[in-house]
Order: sequence, then structure tokens, then C-alpha cells
Amino acid sequence: MNNHWMRRQRRLGYVFIGPSMIGVLLFFLIPAAFSLGLVFTDYKFMNPKAGFVGLDNITRMLHDKLFYQSLKNTVLFLAAVPVSIALGFVVAVILNQRIYLKKLLRALYFMPYITSGVAVAFVWMLLFQPKQGPINGFLRSIGIEHPPGWLSTTTSSMFAIDIIWIWFLMGYNMIIYLAALQEVSPELMEAAKIDGARPGQLLRKIIWPLVSPTTFLLLVTGMIMTIKTFGIIQATTQGGPGNSTTILSLYVYQNAFRYYDMGYAATISWALFIIILIITAIQWIGQKRWVHY
Amino acid sequence: MRKKGWLAGFVSLVLIAGVVSGCSGGGSKGEAEGVAGNAKAASGGVVKLKMWGGVPPEAGPQEVVDAWNKDHPDVQVEYVRYVNDDEGNLKLDTAIMTGQDVDLFVNYSASQAAKRVASGATADLSSFTDYNIDEKMGPEAADWKIDGKYYGLPTTKSSFFVALNKDALDAANLPVPKDWTWDEMREYAKKLKKGDGYGFIQNTEPFVDPIDSVLSKEGYTKADGASNLDHPLVRKWLESLYGMMKDDKTTPPLGEQLTSKMPVEQMFLSGEVPMLNIGAWLLRSSNNFTDYPRDFKIAFAPVPRLEEDAANYVTRGGLGDYISINAKSKYQKEAWEFLKWYADGGMAPMAAGGRLPASMDADQDAALKSMLGDKGDTYDQESLMYVMFDNKTPTFVRTVPQEVMDLRSQEYEKYFLGSQDLNATVAAMVSRHNEYLKSNPK
Repeated sequence: MNNHWMRRQRRLGYVFIGPSMIGVLLFFLIPAAFSLGLVFTDYKFMNPKAGFVGLDNITRMLHDKLFYQSLKNTVLFLAAVPVSIALGFVVAVILNQRIYLKKLLRALYFMPYITSGVAVAFVWMLLFQPKQGPINGFLRSIGIEHPPGWLSTTTSSMFAIDIIWIWFLMGYNMIIYLAALQEVSPELMEAAKIDGARPGQLLRKIIWPLVSPTTFLLLVTGMIMTIKTFGIIQATTQGGPGNSTTILSLYVYQNAFRYYDMGYAATISWALFIIILIITAIQWIGQKRWVHY
Repeated sequence: MRKKGWLAGFVSLVLIAGVVSGCSGGGSKGEAEGVAGNAKAASGGVVKLKMWGGVPPEAGPQEVVDAWNKDHPDVQVEYVRYVNDDEGNLKLDTAIMTGQDVDLFVNYSASQAAKRVASGATADLSSFTDYNIDEKMGPEAADWKIDGKYYGLPTTKSSFFVALNKDALDAANLPVPKDWTWDEMREYAKKLKKGDGYGFIQNTEPFVDPIDSVLSKEGYTKADGASNLDHPLVRKWLESLYGMMKDDKTTPPLGEQLTSKMPVEQMFLSGEVPMLNIGAWLLRSSNNFTDYPRDFKIAFAPVPRLEEDAANYVTRGGLGDYISINAKSKYQKEAWEFLKWYADGGMAPMAAGGRLPASMDADQDAALKSMLGDKGDTYDQESLMYVMFDNKTPTFVRTVPQEVMDLRSQEYEKYFLGSQDLNATVAAMVSRHNEYLKSNPK
């Protein structure tokens, strides 16, 4: 009797998750499986002649200089994540104090996150303009004769993109940290203060460990988000100059939708998936050392 | 027991998914057909054609289809605009492949047209025997034959030229050239440069044309099938442009131009820079005095050549706007009727945007008048006539695949930005081109 009831319950459960499972299946799992199949073909969109090519795409990828260049650029791009987390934390701690215009500042810092990416890209392109842009204008006025070319040289472009991305992510990180800081129990802080802890010690020994789960969350989601994104680069440099800002996700996009080379694009996107998986796994294992729940 | 339940659940889920997707697939198809059928029935046998093109409707196409629709109540054409970039072309290709209503579409590059032909999306126009494309459009039409056949109708004369600020040239005592070399152009740029300004700017579209001019004549590959991108004139192009950017400072460094999305038309039309390498679409902006007020006369010169010998030179041009009929369209005959009408003069309103009809039956004078509008006296008409009609230099149509365009531009960008020297650049272009040739045998 009880058993029967359990079974019915379970069946009912499937009915409830069914609709969303169908969505996942149709729009995620089946396409993903399909793309895995594409890895072994030379399928080109618009070209009906697709054949099985075995591991050709994988060998091609392993010999593709542009693939490694994009990989390197992706790593440089990922460097933006920890920086934006650190800055977000600092800003959140400051805004958590009693300061003037707190609400306004909070809103201002969060603005980038809710602004349209294309608009953001355009404004930054104007700011970064090497000759007439305000950033270099400022740098020249304080005596730097040869300010960097920002987006316009192959050596500085990736860092310029990093700056945009840090600025973009920081507001979000700050909001999440602000919420986490509310959770830091005043009793602990007070006890530490009575014991004579200085503000720096409070920050390091009390606040930072207590928000470490938040840091971990931001790190994992930030990495995944960063590795997947390419809109900001597509809108600013399209991967150039040269191929100095082509990150893997953009390289996938170009192969798929510029060259219609779906087989190769699928191969790189699976490589990208494996990379995300490995990075996340490392973070997951590493968290035991520094995340305190 | 428990395991079995899970399995059963999963299997049923898969089945449901299958049924649902099957239903939705079939359903939507049926629906689409239903709608099409209804539309036809409801409007009393009116055929509706959809034409996809990249020109904004207000720049001519709307006027064209309105004129047609007024005279042909039984065949109504609707113009759909796609933006001629990666996303826009993808949108068009997806629409064609998934059988959405696309009856006619304009191809703007030979490599895109070739892709669409390979996929079977384009109707072979030789099945229509009442229009001799070669005769009507002239010998240049043959550039658009794909595997010896026309899968579209090239409708415009495309011209590329260097637009000149006549007033600035006169002030510097320089004649309007009818034939000049790259080195001569470089001297002009030096003489015309004022202070920190530039003497010569280029639209990014024809930027790489000098290379293609050389290679379409000499071959993109050598006799042994290897890349010809190390041709001496390719080097010369790289070197002299580099010199103009770095030593003469007469043309903007490429990195700066690209990342600031330099508005070259505006810079030329405001009188800031006296020479602009561009094509006929400049007319769209130069006729628009509201957004681009201008107080000088524009003269036109052919694109300078890298070749020393004028007899060896080919210049980009020929015909453009290759309009194809969708092979899956139900109304190919109607589409063909429209296309003929369009090519033989229906397209006249497009001239305001610099698109002159290629057909010998079209009224060239009327098109020219509509192209210049009431701004005729702000152009040096003699040189305009020369670059558009009288210049008899043989022409080429760009046929390079996008992949090759990109690998070249990535490498020369590194060179122009100073992060790679000339030899390394040429070597990288050649090796990447060879790799491309190997993985994409013809």
C-alpha cells in the first residue's frame, strides 16, 4: 500500500518535471549530441555534401596555430575574473559602511551590468581612441608621451578588452558581495573588536572567510560566463587587430557563422566545453582549501 | 523495482519528446502550407513574391517595388532587407535552407553566390530562353558565370574609384589623374597633406583590392599550385602602405582606423581628407547634404595601379548585385518576369544610391540624372563619366573565399601595426593560404 503510493508519487513527479525536461532535451541535450556527431564530419552549412572524416577535425585543431592563439587569448581574458572579484569585494566593503550617497553609488556601480553590451562597446571604443580619445588625452596631459594604443595594437588589445570586461563584471560582483556582507553576523565582528582586532584584521580574518562561499560562486560562474562570452569582442574588435583578441568562443562563432564550417566549429566548441569542465573541476577541488561554509 | 520505474519514466519521456517534436514539426509545416494556400485563395490568385536585398528600402528598393506593384496587381513584390554582413547573410541562408518565403535574393559577392549555388538554392537561369544575359549585360557579365552557367543576373555596373576633393587639388595645382600608379598617388597624398591631417583614406571594403587586382591577373596560385601571395607586387603594396602610415603619415594607421571605426565618408565629405578610395556607394552620402554638408566639388580618379605597365592592369569593377531566383520558389516564372523588368530599367530609383543599371536596354542618362539629382554641379562630371563609363581598363570581380580574405587581413594587420615584419607577414600569408588550399581542394 505504502509502496504503491510511493510509486504513484514518483510517477507524478515525472509528470511535473516533464515539460521542462522536454525543453532541456529538445533545445540542449539533442543539439549537444548532434554537435558531438558533427565533430567527425566535414559538414558545412549550405553544402549538402557532408562526409564522415574521422578524427580529421581534431588533428586539424591540434595543428591550428590560431587555435592556440585563441586559447592564449582566452586565458588572458579569464584573468579579468579574479580582478573584477577583488575590486567588487573592495567596493562592496566600502559601500557597506556609513557613507554619503551610498544608494546612488551602488546604482552607478551596477549600471554597466544592465546596460546593452553594444552600447557599452561603443562607448569604450570612443574612450580608448588612441588619438582623440579622452583616456589618452588625460594620460598625455599628465605627461605620458606615448600612451598605449589600447584596442588598436596587437599587444595591448587584449588588456583593453580585459579592462572593459572587469568594469562590466564588477557591478554584479559588488551586488552579490553586498548581500553576503549583510550575512556577516554583527556578533562576530563585535567580539573581534572587543578582542582588539584592527580593521585590516577584521577584513582578513572575519569578513573574507565568511564571504568565501560567495567568492567561490562568483569565481565559478564568472569563469564560465567569461569563457562563453564573445559579444563584447565581436562588437569592438571582431577578434583583431591581427587575431590578437580572438578568444575561443569567438573562434567557434567565426568558423560556424562566417565560414559555415560547422564540423570544425563543433570540434572547437567541444574542446571549449572540456576546458570549462576542467577549470571548474579544479576550482571545485581547490575550494576545500579556502572556502568556509 | 525502483530502477525499473526510473527507466520507464525516462523512456516515456523520450517518447513524449519524440511525439511532441514530431507533432510540432509536422504541425508547423502543415500550418505554413495552409497559410500560403489561404493567402492565395483569399486574395484571388495574387502571387506574392519576396525579394531579399541588402540596400535599405528607403534608398531605392521601396520605390522600385512600389512602381512594379502599381502596374502588376496580380504579382505583388515585397522587399525584405537583410544587412549585408555575417549575421545578415546567415539570416538569408537560413531562410533559404529552411524554406521560408524567399523568391529572389541579391548576392553581393561571388564567393557567397558560389556557396548558394553549391547548396542548390539558386535556379539555373539558362532555362529561361527569352533573355540573352551576355548580350544585354555585355562581356563583363561572364565574370559571374558559375561552372559556366548563370545562376543569377548581375544587374548593376559597379565602379570603384578614388574620390578627390577638386578644390584641394586645384589649390595644390594637381591635375585629376586618368591613370596613375600607386607611387604617384603617394606623392599626391604627400602634397595634399595638411598639418597633422591625412592625404589619403580608404574605405575598408576596397582596401585590399590592389592585391586582388594583381592576383586576379597573375593567379592566386603559382603553376605548382602553391600560394602566390608572395608576389613582388603584394610586397610592394604592403611596403608602400606601411610607408604611408609610418613615414609619410599620409594615411591613418590601420589599427586606429579599424578600432575607431573611422567614418571615412564623413571625413572626406567634410573636407578633412582630400582623397578617398571607395566605390559608387559614396554617392548615397555625397548627395545627402543634410548629414554631409559640403562646400567643394568632387572629382574622380581610377584606383591607382601597382603595376608599372598600364597594359597589364585590371581594376575592380565589372558588374554587381547578382540577383538569383530561389530554386525552391513556387513562382519562378513570375520572379523571372520581375527580374527582367528590374534589370531593364525598373531599378532606376536605385541609382540615387550609386547603383547604375548594367543592362544596355536601361536608360543610362535617366539613371545618371537620378544618381546626381539636383547635386549635379557639385561633381566634376567629366571625370565621373570617365571612371564610370569611359575607362576601358579591363575589370575583375572579387572571387576570393572569405577564409582567404580573413587570413590575409589578419596577417597584414599585424604588419601595419608593427608587430610582425614584412618577410614574416608574407611567409605567414603564404603558409596559411597553402594550408587553406590543402584542406579545401577545388
